[in-house]
Amino acid sequence: MEIPFVVEPRKDTGLNNSKIGIWLFLASEVMLFGGLFSGYIFLRIYADYPWPERTLPVLPGLINTFILIGSSVTVVFAWVSLKLGQWRKFQVYMAITIVCAALFMVLKGIEYNAKFAHQAIRLDDYTVIEGHAHPQGGSHDYHAPKKNFNINAESVQINLSRVDDAYYEVMGKQYADGGMVLADKLSLNDGSVFEKGTAISKELIDQAKNDYLAAIANNSEIDIELGREAWATLKPKYEGKRYYEAVEGNKTLNEVVSAYTKELKAQREEDYRTTTPDLVFVSGSEATSITVNPYWGKLSNPKEGEKGTLKLKDETLIFGVTADSSIALAVDGIDFRHTVMKAEEKGIDPAVAVANSWLLKDEKIKQIWEKHQLITSKLGEELKEKDREPSENDIYRINWQEIAGLLDTDLADLEAMEYNDILALYPGDVEGFAGPDHKKIHYPEVIVPREQVRFESVFSPRWNTYYATYFTITGLHGLHVIAGALVLGYYLFFGRKMFEEKPEWLANRVEVGGLFWHFVDLVWIFLFPILYLM
Amino acid sequence: MADSPEAIKKHIKLYTLIGAVLFVCTLLTVAVAKFEFLDFGQRGFDSVDAVIGLLIATFKATLVALIFMHLNHEKKMVYWLFGMGIFFAFCLMAIFAFAFSDPIEFQAFFGR
Repeated sequence: MEIPFVVEPRKDTGLNNSKIGIWLFLASEVMLFGGLFSGYIFLRIYADYPWPERTLPVLPGLINTFILIGSSVTVVFAWVSLKLGQWRKFQVYMAITIVCAALFMVLKGIEYNAKFAHQAIRLDDYTVIEGHAHPQGGSHDYHAPKKNFNINAESVQINLSRVDDAYYEVMGKQYADGGMVLADKLSLNDGSVFEKGTAISKELIDQAKNDYLAAIANNSEIDIELGREAWATLKPKYEGKRYYEAVEGNKTLNEVVSAYTKELKAQREEDYRTTTPDLVFVSGSEATSITVNPYWGKLSNPKEGEKGTLKLKDETLIFGVTADSSIALAVDGIDFRHTVMKAEEKGIDPAVAVANSWLLKDEKIKQIWEKHQLITSKLGEELKEKDREPSENDIYRINWQEIAGLLDTDLADLEAMEYNDILALYPGDVEGFAGPDHKKIHYPEVIVPREQVRFESVFSPRWNTYYATYFTITGLHGLHVIAGALVLGYYLFFGRKMFEEKPEWLANRVEVGGLFWHFVDLVWIFLFPILYLM
Repeated sequence: MADSPEAIKKHIKLYTLIGAVLFVCTLLTVAVAKFEFLDFGQRGFDSVDAVIGLLIATFKATLVALIFMHLNHEKKMVYWLFGMGIFFAFCLMAIFAFAFSDPIEFQAFFGR
C-alpha cells in the first residue's frame, strides 16, 4: 500500500504527514514536561524544608550538556548528508550521535549510582548529615547489615491472617535459629494438637493459618445463614414495619431480630469453630537476636537497652529489648539549615540551637564546625568590602569539599591563612566527579543511635521532594534519549535499502527523528540549570 | 523550506556556529552560578540568578528551535501546533499558581 504524503506536502497543511505527526507529538511532549516543571516550581516554592540548592556535582551535568548539544549538531549534519546524497558521511554523523546518546546514559548511570550509595540522615533536632553508611558493629564485612533494626526478642506474635510469606522466609530463619517455641498449647479444628514448646516452623504456621481462615469462613457463613433465617421468620409477623420502628414494647424491629438471631446461634453452637487469630512464640532462656530491614517495619521504642516492640508491615509483633541499632556514618556533609529553620519557627536563637545540637557533641564534628565558623567569618570579612554577606548556605552547610580539604589542617593554621588560600586546599570537581569518593578519603565517622534518627534514606526519591522531582524528570528524559537513539539507530543500520530506493523519504524520516532529538536536547537545556545550578 | 542542495550547503556553517554558541552559553550558565564576580543579587542562589539562568536557557532553547528545528522558516501549521503546546503548558503553570490563593492558607476561612 502506498502511504500518501510522506515526501510531497499536502495541499491543505503545506507539510508532509510525518512532519505534522512529529510536531503534534512534540506539542504534547511540551505539555508533559511543562507539567513536570510546574510541579517542580510548586514543590520548591512551597517546600517546608531548606531546598537542597546546588548540591548535585556540576561536572557530569555539564559534560552531558556538551554531549547532547554536540549530538544535536551531528544529527543535523547527518540529515544534511542525506540531502546531499552522501551515505558514508550520514553513517559517520549518525554513529557519533548514537555514541553520544550512549555516553549520556552512562554518565547518568554513574550519577544515579552515586546517589543510591549516598546516605542521608535527618536527626531528631533536624540536623541533616550525609555520608556513607558502614556495617553495624564495626564489622568489615561489606555485606553485613548497614542500618537494620536489631532487637533481642523475648517473644513474637504472628498475625495469621496477615503473615507474609516473603517476610517469613527471612524472619522465620531467625526465629528458628533462636530456638523460638510455641508459648501455649494449640488445638486446631482439624483435630491436630501442638503442645506448648513445639518449635516454630513454616508448616506449623501454614497449618494454623489455613485452619484459622477456614474457621472464620465457616463461622461467617453460619452467621449469614442464621441472619437470613431470622429475618425470614420475623418479617411476615411484622409486615410493613421498618427496622428502626418499635415493635415489642420499646424494642425496635432490629433489636428483636438481633435477639432472635442470638437464640438461633446458641442452638447451633456446636457448628461454630474456634478461631485463633494470633500465634505467640517465645524464646528459651536466652533472647533471640533479630535483625530487620527498617523498610519492613517500625521500632516503637528505639532506645538501646530498653523494652521495645518491633512491628513489621505484616502485623507481626516482636517484643524484646532493643539492641544496638545505630547507624555508623562516614560524614561528608553537614547541614544545619533545617535546624535553624525550626529554631526560627519556635523563636529560638539559631546559634543556640546549632550549638546545642546533638551532632556537635561529637568531638570530631565539633572541630569541623569550629573550622567552618572561622572560614565563614573570613568569608564575611572578604564580602564586607563588596557590601555583601555570606548566604544561609555558606553559614550553615558544610559540604564534602570543605570536610575533605580541611581534615589535616589545624584550626590554628587556618587562622593565619587567607580565605582564598583555604579554598585552594579543597579538592577539585574532578576528584569528586559524581560525589565524594570514600575510597580515597577517610571521612570522620559518627555513630548515630536510632533514637536520634528522625528520618533516614539514601539519596533516592524517598529522601525529599527535590530528589523525587530530580529522578522523575531526568528519568523520563533519559527514557527519551534511549527511545531517540533507538529510532536514529534504526535509520543508521537499516536505512541503506531505502537510501538507494527512496532517498527523499529517508531524508524526511531522519529529519523527523532529528526533530525529536533536538527536542530532547531542548528539555535538557532547561533541566541542567534548574536541577544542577539553582 | 529551501531544501535545494546548494541552500543546504550554505547552512552547514550556520549549524556549526550555532553549536559553538550553545557550548559557550552552557559555560556561561555554569560561570554565572560558580564565580563570585558574576553572581548578581545576593550571594548564593536567589531570584536574580534564577532569572539570569532561565534567560540563558531560553536563549539557547530558542536557537535550537529556530535553527536546528528549522522554526525560522516553517509552515503556519507547525507554529499553531507547537505554539498551542507551549500555551497550554503555561496554562498548566498558571493553574498551579492559583494554589497560592488556596483558602487553606487563611485560617479565617475555616473559622480556626
